[in-house]
Amino acid sequence: MTACIALVVIGPSQHMLDVILLSFMWAGLALAWNIAGGYAGLISLGHAAFFGIGAYTSSILTVKAGVTPWIGMWVGAVAAAVIGAILTLICARLRGPFFILSTLAAAEVVRIGALNWTSVTGGAEGLMILPTPSAMNMVFGSKTTYAMLMLIYMVVTYVVTKAIEGSRYGYYLFAIRDDEEAASAAGVNPLLARTGAMCTSAFLTAIGGSLFAQYFLFLDPTNVISPELSFQFALIPALGGLGTAIGPVLGAFVITPLSELLRSYFGGGAAGLHLAIYGAVLIIVMLYFPSGISGALMRHLTWKGDSAR
Amino acid sequence: MVAMTTIGQLVFSGLLIGSIYALMSMGLTLIFGVLRVVNFAHGEFLMFAMYGAWAFVTYTGFNAYVACLAVVPAMLLYGALIHWIIIRPGLNKPHLVVVFATMGLSILMQNLALLVFSADLFDVPPLNAGRSITIGPFYAKLELLIGFGVTLLATAVIHVVLKSTYLGKAIRATVQDGEAAQLMGIPVPRIFLITFSAGSALVGLSACVMIPLFSVFPSVGLNFVLIAFVVVVLGGMGSLEGALLGGICIGVVQSLSGYYVAPAYGQMFFFILFLLVMVFRPAGLMGRRGEATLGMLD
Repeated sequence: MTACIALVVIGPSQHMLDVILLSFMWAGLALAWNIAGGYAGLISLGHAAFFGIGAYTSSILTVKAGVTPWIGMWVGAVAAAVIGAILTLICARLRGPFFILSTLAAAEVVRIGALNWTSVTGGAEGLMILPTPSAMNMVFGSKTTYAMLMLIYMVVTYVVTKAIEGSRYGYYLFAIRDDEEAASAAGVNPLLARTGAMCTSAFLTAIGGSLFAQYFLFLDPTNVISPELSFQFALIPALGGLGTAIGPVLGAFVITPLSELLRSYFGGGAAGLHLAIYGAVLIIVMLYFPSGISGALMRHLTWKGDSAR
Repeated sequence: MVAMTTIGQLVFSGLLIGSIYALMSMGLTLIFGVLRVVNFAHGEFLMFAMYGAWAFVTYTGFNAYVACLAVVPAMLLYGALIHWIIIRPGLNKPHLVVVFATMGLSILMQNLALLVFSADLFDVPPLNAGRSITIGPFYAKLELLIGFGVTLLATAVIHVVLKSTYLGKAIRATVQDGEAAQLMGIPVPRIFLITFSAGSALVGLSACVMIPLFSVFPSVGLNFVLIAFVVVVLGGMGSLEGALLGGICIGVVQSLSGYYVAPAYGQMFFFILFLLVMVFRPAGLMGRRGEATLGMLD
């Protein structure tokens, strides 16, 4: 990762820069998801809703009202956090698959809503942001600036994650995730703690959504609120290692370059092959390394350490 | 008077399409009821089976209902294979493992289909030259009526198997208390294998019923699996009768809201319905109380 940061400074090829930039973004989004999914045990397959709310709020404010995305992204983030809080208050008592499916359904409601509320969202035709570079409108001419922006986003989500992990609140979350009854008997309010985690996660995901919109300058409901996107948010931390700060980063920095590499290697000749390989890798990792890449690495390192002693 | 006939027709159409939704959800609810896992690749199982049915019809010239003679056994074997490779190794691990592994499987299957068949839509010629037939005051497609019949038949057969055969008794015992069943000499791992395969075979059956009605393409599974999730949760996860009832509810809601509000919002209605059920009656219409909220899954 340090190498990636160094590369951005040196000035790599445009395609390479694209991959690094996307890796930063995915790492940030995966970290954000992990706060709810990995730390609080709220496995959500509806985070695309928060991502979409963030992307749409800042973009609509920019396009229709001329509000700069520098302000708009906070509005979107607060909106997503509120929705996240409501969803958790309603659904946190549901267990296992029931919670997962509820988040999926909630995201679908948001997606279909965005698709049909044409007057505001532009519906299926999507929404275009003017591509004239201006720092005021968070539209930049060079990819390096975007890469820096994504890097900052990743670092912020990482710091937030680390802060939660080391705090009293983090221990509350772990306790609830591992044994809710014992935790509430010990005086932790599970509903409140979980709602907080979901709010934080939704807030950060929405910021990621705004940044995504500012980079691609185009958004439609199928791209920013699809179930596939929600799956992606969950799968990267799962691959990297749930409930750790480094896991989602590792996951993003393995998956993003790998899928870009496979895609450019196989090209248009074999559409879907890179995703088929991705699916197979996912099955193998989940079955044989349930604690993800970071878990496997950790075990390897401790094993080495033991034999050295 | 006119309005009444319209409503009658809408409810009737909803009932028929809903029964097909019920049929495609039965495999999912059966597997959940016994193994306590959600197969996130359920939609892709359906997609594979629909391609199978399509290929059978296209290359042999028989109609889709004959195809089930080939597709159902093929899906039975495929289910056994997936159970052996993915489900069984994942069962004794945290339940997230199966969730993520079956999500991986769904990505794998979807993109294999994309590789082989490309993103084109395939369909089979309709029966009866696509004309509707009349039953009393109502109109219906022949394929929908056959689908309704197949659903009722399948529900009845599974019901009888579960209630009055030795295998059915063993399955019900496993559902009630897996450990106790094991101690009574029921081969629980084999019950899991049989249930997962049977659930997949049911998907095969529903694919044969659906291929004359819907086109098949690699990502078709996602549309249907979302409906199936709503159906099984509405009916109560693990309940067969619940799935039938849930499917019909969804069909009628879709049909009425499509006509009176807007077709585009039809799906939104049943996701909202789903969330309302989760809030007010998480066990669904016929599920076991407390299943969704108390930790019976862990």
